[in-house]
Amino acid sequence: MSLEAIYDAILNGNAPAAKAETQAELDAGTPAETILNQACIPAMTEVGRLFEIGEKFVPEMLIAARAMNAAMELLKPLLVEAGVEQIGTVVIGTVAGDLHDIGKNLVAMMMEGAGFRIIDLGTDVAPSRFVDTVKAEKPDIVAMSALLTTTTKSIISTIEALEEAGVRDQVKVMVGGAPVTQDFADKVGADGFAPDAGSAARKAKALLGLAA
Amino acid sequence: MNSRERVQTALNHKEPDRVPFDLGGTPMSGMHKIAYKNLRAYLGLPEVEIRVVDSIQQLAAIDEDVAEILKIDIHNVAPRSSAKYNLEYRDEGDYTAYTDEWGIGWRSPKKGGLYYDMYYWPLAQYDSPEEIEANYTWPDAGDPARFQGLRQKALKTIEEGKAVVVGSLCAGVSEMHAWTRGFEKYFTDFYLHPDVAEYIMDKVVELKMIYWENVLREVGDLADVVIEADDLAGQKNLFFSKEMYRKYIKPRHTKLFAFIKARTNAKLFYHCDGALVPILWDLIESGIDILNPLQKSAAGIDYAAIKKEYGDYITFWGAGIDTQRIFDQGTPEEVREDTRRNIEIMAPGGGFVCTTIHNTQATVPPENYMAFWETLQEYGVY
Repeated sequence: MSLEAIYDAILNGNAPAAKAETQAELDAGTPAETILNQACIPAMTEVGRLFEIGEKFVPEMLIAARAMNAAMELLKPLLVEAGVEQIGTVVIGTVAGDLHDIGKNLVAMMMEGAGFRIIDLGTDVAPSRFVDTVKAEKPDIVAMSALLTTTTKSIISTIEALEEAGVRDQVKVMVGGAPVTQDFADKVGADGFAPDAGSAARKAKALLGLAA
Repeated sequence: MNSRERVQTALNHKEPDRVPFDLGGTPMSGMHKIAYKNLRAYLGLPEVEIRVVDSIQQLAAIDEDVAEILKIDIHNVAPRSSAKYNLEYRDEGDYTAYTDEWGIGWRSPKKGGLYYDMYYWPLAQYDSPEEIEANYTWPDAGDPARFQGLRQKALKTIEEGKAVVVGSLCAGVSEMHAWTRGFEKYFTDFYLHPDVAEYIMDKVVELKMIYWENVLREVGDLADVVIEADDLAGQKNLFFSKEMYRKYIKPRHTKLFAFIKARTNAKLFYHCDGALVPILWDLIESGIDILNPLQKSAAGIDYAAIKKEYGDYITFWGAGIDTQRIFDQGTPEEVREDTRRNIEIMAPGGGFVCTTIHNTQATVPPENYMAFWETLQEYGVY
């Protein structure tokens, strides 16, 4: 039993071990916040780093996120009870006309693993839904994904809708997906782009001025 | 030299009179029905009822007038569907949907939808081979209705002087695992339920073998190219590690490809997008002869380096124009520039069939398509 054992269990995607070790650590009196900040988040950050450099792949990322969730099931109620705030809120979705979700889900998992609250709007999200959610939830970041060359146009119309609604300046806009590049992100006036799920979480923190 | 001889020469790594050209010869080198309608109008051709030959990607059948004008060298003699399956579109609120013969649900947004994407995976709920066995019926790969008229179609294609391409039963061995389980289960099965992954992939190999046995009994002596596919890579890297590919996928590919090649002298066409360089030698070892489409915008895809290292061993079928970055958004001049450079690298020594890097999307202007095609006419001459 140790924070290191939780870290290892998440890094290796062992959900039963992550859960058991977390329970043991809690039983020993370690605060949930300490477990989150010193074991869970660092483990997911490392998963993201290894993914970025091509040493871990999608299966390993998914089972790591699954192990993190197993630990979080125990930690979440305690974190809420203790009034621990998340580092920020991200509204995420795949843009209108596009039904692909695996890339968007990976980004959401990695951002959650970095300590963000995630509001996942799913796929084929109309610009107006992004706008309504920004108004209602006051997120720090709006993250949009497009897998199709043809649906990158919906990124543009969503940014326009945020501008028209007068909420564009209240959020940082992040864009990603296979056909999306830094060039495209600059052209459409997004605040951030990331080429993969590991760097997306890092980018999100950087956009909010948080340490990586 | 007719089209078929041109293609055969290129596939044997020799230089024909000009680079062979494909449009609509495979489900990865076709044209979306909207782009096709626009192209026909641009060419001043009469309006026709556009037939969709690929329901997922909404690809148009290429009519004979277009095939003639564009001097297409390839014809796909796609086998028919099983008589036990009937494609029916249905209305589902904001979506139009259908279920395919595997029980996979597909839908497209009514507003702005250009393609169909999966939303129901028939094996997602079963986490053991026994449960699948007890609850799921696999399609009938050997249904004689699929193969009716196939030989006549191939003979007619040869009579017209074109190369004969034969399509596959379904997507690739590991893709069908993804498409029946859903992507998250597909990826995590390798750790959590490897028995399910292996069971599904073995079953798909078995069905594909039944299918190819029948197809090649009909046209094994006539086919120039047989199509298989398996997408294993994304924009930046492989979907899973090279070790995992070698353990689970490669042995099954090797078995299937050997089975096919024992029944025909046709070249084995293999489609995989993305950053696949780390496993390119493995794919060649597994038996592929042709690689499609060589996605230029993916990580590690350096045409000159790849042509030099692998060009003696495989034919590149694609590599004509970057559809992800240039084809729909670039100017005709940018299209010409990209196409010219690609041809200059890929054409020498043969081993190149030129087509767009994956299908021509709905938003590609006809001016850009013709800029691509004209550049091929100009520079694709040996």
